[in-house]
Amino acid sequence: MKEIILMGHVFFGVGCLLTTIWLFVDVLNAHDGNLARIRWMSRAAAVLMWFAFVVGGYWYVVDYKADKGVILKGPWPFAHNFFMETKEHFVITLLLLATYLPIAASNNLAVNKEARRLVLCVAALVAVLSLMAEGHGAIISMGVKVGLLAKPH
Amino acid sequence: MENTALSKHTKSFGLSLALCAVLNALLVIAKEKSNSLQDWMQKITGHHWITHVVIILLLFAAFGWCFARPDSGQGPKMPVNRLTSIVISGVIAGVLIVIGFYLIAD
Repeated sequence: MKEIILMGHVFFGVGCLLTTIWLFVDVLNAHDGNLARIRWMSRAAAVLMWFAFVVGGYWYVVDYKADKGVILKGPWPFAHNFFMETKEHFVITLLLLATYLPIAASNNLAVNKEARRLVLCVAALVAVLSLMAEGHGAIISMGVKVGLLAKPH
Repeated sequence: MENTALSKHTKSFGLSLALCAVLNALLVIAKEKSNSLQDWMQKITGHHWITHVVIILLLFAAFGWCFARPDSGQGPKMPVNRLTSIVISGVIAGVLIVIGFYLIAD
């Protein structure tokens, strides 16, 4: 069950990233015909990020303690001391950014060039921070793996 | 003709986002440097991180609501480009403070 929860966290995170990239491209070509889709995609990105955050948060609070012990006793303690510590805090900003996306996308992007630029910047920040979170997650997983491999048999 | 108007909530929650990104980073430093604060945050919800998230989300909602009040409820008057710059600066500053703190200070 623990692994399913963790994969759910990754699944929703990647879903948010892909949705945000779609949104970014759609906003670059914003016109009356795709405004409704832009707004739906911005809401989808926010919902997916909330799912990723809640599922990941549950795993962090309930299941991470054992993995943390393995990481700290293994050869990659920085996987917790730096990567998990930074990830658990910058994802709060990522959640706020994703929540703000539908608010920013509610303006008429077809005629408002500056509002388009705002949404593009917010979407770019969501994409960059999502990629950072995915990378941090990969290093944390690797920290557990090398910790288990280093255990005496 | 180009329309450059933004909804009041786009402006108010944009400002709130920038502010809360920085406050999030400052709360990280405060709780890591103060055991009593971290213990208090631990007691409130059972985990310091949950309390941290709840505080930032409440501040985001509260500031977003407050910043929409000025000018008879029309929201703050500012050019969209300035709002964009504030959002980008706040988010980047917040993330860099968190990374810098764990990289150097902690």
